[in-house]
Amino acid sequence: MLRRLHILFIDNDTTTRERMHQALSKDFTLQCVASLSEAKRYLSSSQPDIVISEVVVGQENGLEFCEYVRSIPSLRHIPIMLLTSMATLQDKVAGFSAGSDDYVVKPFDAHHLAARIRLLSRIKRLERRTNN
Amino acid sequence: MSSGNAIKKVLVIDDNPTIVELIKYAVKLQGSYQVVVAYDGVQGLERVFAEQPDCVIIDVKMPRMDGYQLVRCLRGDARTADIPLIILSAMTREEDQMTGLLSGADEYLTKPFKPTALNAAIERVLRLTPAERQHRTDTLVQTQSERD
Repeated sequence: MLRRLHILFIDNDTTTRERMHQALSKDFTLQCVASLSEAKRYLSSSQPDIVISEVVVGQENGLEFCEYVRSIPSLRHIPIMLLTSMATLQDKVAGFSAGSDDYVVKPFDAHHLAARIRLLSRIKRLERRTNN
Repeated sequence: MSSGNAIKKVLVIDDNPTIVELIKYAVKLQGSYQVVVAYDGVQGLERVFAEQPDCVIIDVKMPRMDGYQLVRCLRGDARTADIPLIILSAMTREEDQMTGLLSGADEYLTKPFKPTALNAAIERVLRLTPAERQHRTDTLVQTQSERD
């Protein structure tokens, strides 16, 4: 039985949030929000196992959100995956530079995405164990 | 990617020019590969799209984008998700190897390497089908997530 990981998912597109819910809610605890300000409020009181965010969230910037999470001592250990339509080489380099741990280009395959989420969570646990 | 019996193209990504030359020599010993090179992770990513290699050999410790990030980046895009990837690194701890495989590498080899071992790994990953790669990933998910 795999552990039920807790995911914070950020995307201002309603269809994508619904698709994520259909794809992941059976095996994961999924909190979907439509803005980065909502995500920051959520993180002020909750610690998800992983954050998944679009890069373009309405008028807000997911890369700045990555930097925000990495700047907060109580949050900086949380794995971040960017799940986005931004697919150029420059987009990907900017994503990792901002502090993202993984970068997945839409459209996504549900099975593939679920596997990557679990593997990324495991990688970050390994890193934390190695660094401690 | 080349098809059928065409000469296979191998992309080597390593920031140490001496190591690159050693890998080129080792791969060319086998005789049937074309070798192209890049010297950091970002240049490597550019060359993957420009060259469409049949196999990529990736160092871990590199400037701009490290080898683990590069592997995840390639696996996270449908256009590059099924390219055979080998990490060839001086990092020899079990945790390093596991991070490489969890990131999506098909094989993890350590330096110093034997040319025969590298060529055998290339042949193995070139034979992997997308379904076999997905099966390996699913097995990793089952075995590794249970350790969480």
